[in-house]
This record gives sequence, structure tokens and C-alpha cells, in this order.
Amino acid sequence: MQYVVKTLIAVASLAFLASCASTGQNTEETTDSTITTQTDASGQPGQEAYSYPYGQAPSGYDAYDTGGGEQLAGAPGGGGGRAGRGGGGAGGNVVSADRIVYFEYDSANIRAESRPVIAANARAMTNNRRSVTQLEGHTDERGSREYNIALGERRANAVRQAMTALGVSPQQIRVVSYGEERPAAAGQDEQSYALNRRVEIVY
Amino acid sequence: MKSFVKSVGALALLLAVGSLAHAELTIDVSKGIEGSGIPIAISPFAGGASENIAAVIASDLKRTGKFAPQSGGAQADYSVTGQASPGGARGYVVQFKLAGAQGSQLLGMSFDVPSSQLRPVAHRISDLIYEKLTGEKGLAGTKIAFVTAGGGFWLLVVADADGQNPNVILRSSQPIMSPSWSPDGSRLAYVSFEGRRPQIVVQDVYSGARRVVSAAPGINGAPSWAPNGQRLAFTLSKDGNPEIYALDLGSQNPVRLTSANAIDTEPVWLPDGSLVFTSDRGGSPQVYRIGPGGGAAQRLTFEGDYNASPTASPDGRYIAMVHRRGGQFYIAALDLKTRQFRVLTSGGLDESPSFAPNGRMIIYSNGRQLNAVSVDGGVKQDFVLRGRVRDPVWAPYGR
Repeated sequence: MQYVVKTLIAVASLAFLASCASTGQNTEETTDSTITTQTDASGQPGQEAYSYPYGQAPSGYDAYDTGGGEQLAGAPGGGGGRAGRGGGGAGGNVVSADRIVYFEYDSANIRAESRPVIAANARAMTNNRRSVTQLEGHTDERGSREYNIALGERRANAVRQAMTALGVSPQQIRVVSYGEERPAAAGQDEQSYALNRRVEIVY
Repeated sequence: MKSFVKSVGALALLLAVGSLAHAELTIDVSKGIEGSGIPIAISPFAGGASENIAAVIASDLKRTGKFAPQSGGAQADYSVTGQASPGGARGYVVQFKLAGAQGSQLLGMSFDVPSSQLRPVAHRISDLIYEKLTGEKGLAGTKIAFVTAGGGFWLLVVADADGQNPNVILRSSQPIMSPSWSPDGSRLAYVSFEGRRPQIVVQDVYSGARRVVSAAPGINGAPSWAPNGQRLAFTLSKDGNPEIYALDLGSQNPVRLTSANAIDTEPVWLPDGSLVFTSDRGGSPQVYRIGPGGGAAQRLTFEGDYNASPTASPDGRYIAMVHRRGGQFYIAALDLKTRQFRVLTSGGLDESPSFAPNGRMIIYSNGRQLNAVSVDGGVKQDFVLRGRVRDPVWAPYGR
């Protein structure tokens, strides 16, 4: 019975997602070359993706700022972000250092110096059983992008395991991996790579 | 500079041998010096069309690595002449002629097109010439898709195979990754993080319509179309760790094909219905193969300490992949017939290989820009595209 309910929920959420996604086609009002982030004035989540039939995008490829430059690909441009992150469109990581766990290359092992960060966050969560965190796993840019998604999840799961061992309920934790898609540092050097191999504890 | 030196060398030799039978000698000299490239003289197209058709054809043929285009009137094995003039029912009449060294006509065709189709017609002519002279299908008229990001946006883009004519088909404020073409070239499956969670979406390229096909808890990643276009393979981690699943697109229930207490991801289908994928079940990521229904996995790669992101040539003979040795990432290809393993690129941060539909070229990214290399490593090409570009996939022949 429980399985049936779960399946129904899954199907329902799938259908919901499908309808959300399909509203994305060709509904954008913007016709000039100025690209603005869509935010909903009523406070509902702004639509995040717009699809276009081939050849019918309102702006040409060259109208988009894809130069990279100093702004990070992973830095949200303004709206659409959740509280605590991406407020002003500033580049760089905006999650504070006491909510970031760093990792060695090719590793998901929790380092000793990360234990206090995990313990402090676990304590806050056991003190407030209604709090929920999303553990966001990240990797540096080296290697296969999809394999890095798997590595990022492995890192986030390692932090989850450490937190549940400290008494946090699994129900309080969600895990998502962004792999190398949302770097905190843009450089192609060991220092940047070290900053990018991380799990962000996001509330 | 290099081509200047080559030209001077060829010219000097040409002058040295004089006019006697120089056409034939030029072939040998040219091949000897340049190592590749059949000389083909391409004259400017008369008629005053806005598109420089001769230049597009020359660029297309040069990029194949099999031709050395020369300007019109040059002594060459083959010559291309033509014109593009206003007229016909649709705006322009484009005619071309391919001739052999003795002036014999090998091809001659005429197209009636609107002015917007002048460039596609030039690509079509390139492919007709390429197929006539090599016996293989060309790539000039094909498309590629790729992902680019910057300024807080991710874009999914479809462009011509020369990187020109980029068309945004999806814009998102969340990451987009891993596009995969349907076998008929009409749809793209990809991963979208909209809603701050990954899901697999199928989008019709020409209508823009989208459908979420997987939004399970955890990873929804690495979609890949089955050769029949009816199924998708992808990665889900809903059962605890990443495993390979196959979904019949007419159903809602993905079928699990692997079960290892390890990372299994990046499935791709071979023409016989079997799949290759990346797994770290042996300690490091390596490429494995399973049957159409799963079962025991056979390890395919043993070189280096990291082989991932496999992609199959359309005939199923080659697997190209990301290969790490000495801390550097390369594109390498495994010949499934001879088991020969060949590193194709000079290395760095190479990733995301994808075969051209004729199996001759592999497009890939270094995380910033796109490049292509022939499956034997002999031909290399760069794509000059604005912005940071990655995740390239070469579209199949199709519509």
C-alpha cells in the first residue's frame, strides 16, 4: 500500500513537472536583445527555463553574455535564487565558510578539519527538528562532466552520513549534485580546484 | 604562416619541374609536402549572391582534411565552378559543376532556393563533392548542439557543423548538461536543473515542445537514445548509488540494468542494443559493456587510470572516451575489432567526445572551446565560437 502511494506521488510530481516544463515554450515577452532574469512579482518562483523552436529565439546567440570573464557561470544573475544565495548576482561563492566542507582530489573522504563544520551544522539541525538542509555536492572541472555529477553526490552523501551519525534525521536532509557545473572559483589552477571540490550546506 | 611556407614550397617545386605534365607532378608534390589533401580549384561563383558560396565550399572541404582547396584557375585534380543568380521561383538559382583535371564533368546540379538558403546550399554542394570523390557521406550539412554558460544563464544551442548559424533553443537560469540527439535528429534529451534538482527533459528541436521524462530523487543524468529512437538510457541514483536504467518512452517505468555498489553512469547504446558505460566498480572509472537487458559487465578499458564518458561510432566499431594519464585528460578511441587503443589529442582538460554521423570525426570540448579530431588522429579542427562552450554533440543524419 505504501508503495502504491509513493508511486502515485511520483507520477503526480512527474506530471506536475512536465506541465511546468512545457509552459516554457515560446512564452517569453522579451523581444529585444536585452536579457533579463524572469522574476515573478507575486513572489511565486520565477520561471527558470524557456525553450524556443529552432530559429525562433527572440535573441540571437551573440546577444547573450557567454564570455565567462570574471563572472562565474554558477552565479545566478539575480532572481530565481532561494534565500541565502544569489541575491545580488555577485560572482563567487556566497555560502559562508562555516557551511562548506572541502575535499581532496578524486576523494569523498571527510577531512578532520571539516568535522567541526559538520558538527556545528548537525547541532543546529538537531536543535531544530523542523529545519531542512540541502547538501549540494560539487567537483572541480577536471574529467568527465557526468562522472563528476556522481562524484559530487558521493561527497554530499558522505556529509549526510556524518550528519545523521550526529543525530540529524535523514528526513531533514536532501542531497543534490551539481558536479562541475557551478564552480565557486573560475581559475584553472590548484587553488581554484580546491575551492570547487566542496559540499555546501544550504538551508 | 605554415600554409604560407607550404605554398612557397609547392610553388618553387612547380616552377622547378616546369610545365611538362606538371598537373600530375603537382599531385605528388602536394601530397608529399602536406601529407594530405587532394588539390581542388574552386572559382568564385558568378551572379553576385550575398553569400560567398565558393568560400563556404572551400572551408568545408578543407575542414575534412582530405582536400587542399585552391583558388580558381589553379592547377588541380578537380575544379569547381558555378553561379548563384537571382531568379527561379524562390529567389535564387544556384548551379555548380565539378570537373576532373581534363575538364570532364563529374557532377552538375542546379538548386532553386530563397536567399536564406544560400549557405545551406553551399554546404550541400560541399557534401555532394565530398561524397562523389571519396565515396563517404559528408558532414558539411550536419548540425551540432552544445551548451554554453555565462552571466548567470545556461544556453542549449544548435549550430551548423562549422559552428556558424548558432540557434538558442533553451535558455535557463539553472545548469543544462549532457544533450543527446534522437536518431532522427528531431529531438534532444538533456539534463536540466530547473527547480534546483536534476531532471531529464526531451525537447523537440523544431517545435520547442518539452517533456520531463525522469525526475526521480537523486541523480537524473547522462541520457542516451537507443538506436531505434524508442528508448532512453540514463543514470538514476534513487536506489542509493548511480545505476544505469532504460526507459521505454511510451511507459513511465525505467528498467534497471546494472547493480554494483559503485558509480555506474554515462550509458551509450551500440547498434546491436548492448550498452557501454562508465563504472568505478574496479576502483577507478573504466568503460564496461553490458547486454541489452543488463547482466554481467565486461570491462573494455585497461589503459591509464581513468576512462569515462564513452561514446560509440555510428557503426559501433569505435568507442571514444575521456582518458587520463599522468594527470592530463585526453580523448582516446578504442577499436572494438582490433582492441587497439589510441590517444587522439594532445591533452589537457579534454572531455565530452561525440562522433560525427559518418564516423570520421570526433567533436569534443576542453571545457572552454570545441575541437574536433579524426578517428585516426590525423585531422584536427578548431571551432571558433563566442563564449565558453562545452558538451558538444554531433547530430545524426536525419531530417
